[in-house]
Amino acid sequence: MVSISQKIITIPPVLDRNWVEQSNSLLCERNRNLILDLSKTVRIDSAGLCFIKLLNLQCKNSGKKLILRNISSDHLNLLKTCNFPFQDKESPDSFKNSFFVSTGDTFIKFMNNSVHALSVLTEMLYWGTFGLLKKQDFKRGALGEQMYQLGYKAFGIVTLLSFLIGIVLSLQSAMQLRNFGAGIFLAPLIGITMVREMGPLLTAIILAGRTGSATTAEIATMGVGEELDALQTMGINPIQFAVVPKFWAISITMPILSILATAAGILGGFFVAIFYLDLSSSIFWGELSKHLHLRDLNAGFIKSVVFSWLIIWIGSYYGLRVRGGAEAVGRETTASVVTGIFIIILADAIFSFIL
Amino acid sequence: MLNPLKKDIVRINNLVVKYGENTILNDISTRFYSSEIRVILGTSGCGKTTLLKSIIGLLKPFSGTVYIENTEIKDQDDPETVKILKKIGVLFQNGALLGSMTVGENVALPLQMHTNLPDSIIKEIVQLKLAQVDLPNASELYPGELSGGMKKRAALARALALDPPLLFCDEPSAGLDPVTSAGLDELLLKIRKTLGITIIVVTHELLSIEKIADNITFLSKGALLFDGPLKDALALEKGPIVDFFKRHEPKNKFHLSNTTDFFVENIK
Repeated sequence: MVSISQKIITIPPVLDRNWVEQSNSLLCERNRNLILDLSKTVRIDSAGLCFIKLLNLQCKNSGKKLILRNISSDHLNLLKTCNFPFQDKESPDSFKNSFFVSTGDTFIKFMNNSVHALSVLTEMLYWGTFGLLKKQDFKRGALGEQMYQLGYKAFGIVTLLSFLIGIVLSLQSAMQLRNFGAGIFLAPLIGITMVREMGPLLTAIILAGRTGSATTAEIATMGVGEELDALQTMGINPIQFAVVPKFWAISITMPILSILATAAGILGGFFVAIFYLDLSSSIFWGELSKHLHLRDLNAGFIKSVVFSWLIIWIGSYYGLRVRGGAEAVGRETTASVVTGIFIIILADAIFSFIL
Repeated sequence: MLNPLKKDIVRINNLVVKYGENTILNDISTRFYSSEIRVILGTSGCGKTTLLKSIIGLLKPFSGTVYIENTEIKDQDDPETVKILKKIGVLFQNGALLGSMTVGENVALPLQMHTNLPDSIIKEIVQLKLAQVDLPNASELYPGELSGGMKKRAALARALALDPPLLFCDEPSAGLDPVTSAGLDELLLKIRKTLGITIIVVTHELLSIEKIADNITFLSKGALLFDGPLKDALALEKGPIVDFFKRHEPKNKFHLSNTTDFFVENIK
């Protein structure tokens, strides 16, 4: 048998976390038997106990021995209390990191989330429409209050931003158009862009930030505080109470806000046409009405309604799935806004093909 | 141990509840009588709150049935179940008042939802309920502005708003000082006396159990150990129920293994 060298370590009177911090390198000793001399030791803290336990485990795994010399019986009893069978519940590394396992895991998680999201959507649509024939579980005046909060209060920021974007877009286009002497085309250009794209999209992005986050935070806080459970036990449907008023409020106010945003954007273009391109106002409006068709207006309207449903759906889905406390509320609110904006832009891209 | 002659209001048949693989409640069958105060008790993690949540339909049981007044508790959207839910009041552990509404609006909520009473009557009922729980001036305050004990009492007022024949309380004295919690116990006794309702309380506070309980349901590790009058339970001589009431220390608290893995030289 190969003789293995020994190393004797004298443990100081206090074996505590300070000592463990400094001596952590001991854990790497692999080649020799270790003898811990505890003759002077009077106090051991939890870090010390676990240190000895880990050291013992490591020595055993590499076929060495850890010998505790001159340990007091009290300390030995203490050590026995941490000698519980400890098993890492994680599966072995090779299995855990396997491509198939991680792919399957991700897929199952994705499917679960999708099922949950779709069930939230169907519940929202059902309780917002046919379910209303069965029962109407919302506060009196909830719809008006929500329309004021979601719609009226967003009016200022939505129109201001659209107006500014309208100016910026038309200025950039006007510079190019003037080079070709085609300044007259600014009217249909800004008109169609605002009506079909920018009006609904800008409104949706602003409302996703305002309303989507507020919805998530509100519903999530209600869930964390057992308020949704309390509603259920009172025989009040939580979806109807918390989500449906917002659903109708945003379905009604969002198209109106979209129209106002579009108008503000076109107004911005109008100012650029008047002051930068020196067009007359009758030419601007004439060109605009000549090139703007009903189907453009329809496209803008449909978009704004669909976007409003997406916002409220994603907002309430993230709110309803919260588990945990304050941190989870913050995390889900962030996720809700990011996903909301992403899905809206994705939907806009899809609409560009079909409308 | 249960009296078959008494009229029952809640019947639980072979209830099994699982969270994933873990069985939380295993084959619970019991009955709660009219106008009694029943205390569901047991050590932490024995399934008390789970039992309560399955009775009121917040948790879907794996198998078994719950009947309240001869109606089976099913889905929350089932019209029959909703009808029954209007007849029960639930006091949650932390109150679960709606934070965005004042105390008065919270108490008025079930009345506005489930009745067609005129506003003036609802206002009067709210004042009455708040006076019953000794919170006559809290109606305009928000739940966040109340102390823990006041929150519980406000939630109790809301739970009592529709004059339910059945009231569930989840750990009413948790996190309250002894005086406030004794006050809450008094309040429950007073409510039972004046309104004659059935009260089902989940708790592990010995003092309040001995003060209020008529019958107890003792759970241990998800199984029903004892179901019957409190005095019968107190007359028992040994077993987990006696350990509970006499505050015995648990056996095998630390798992001291005799076979040690350590190589030892020279024990001091």
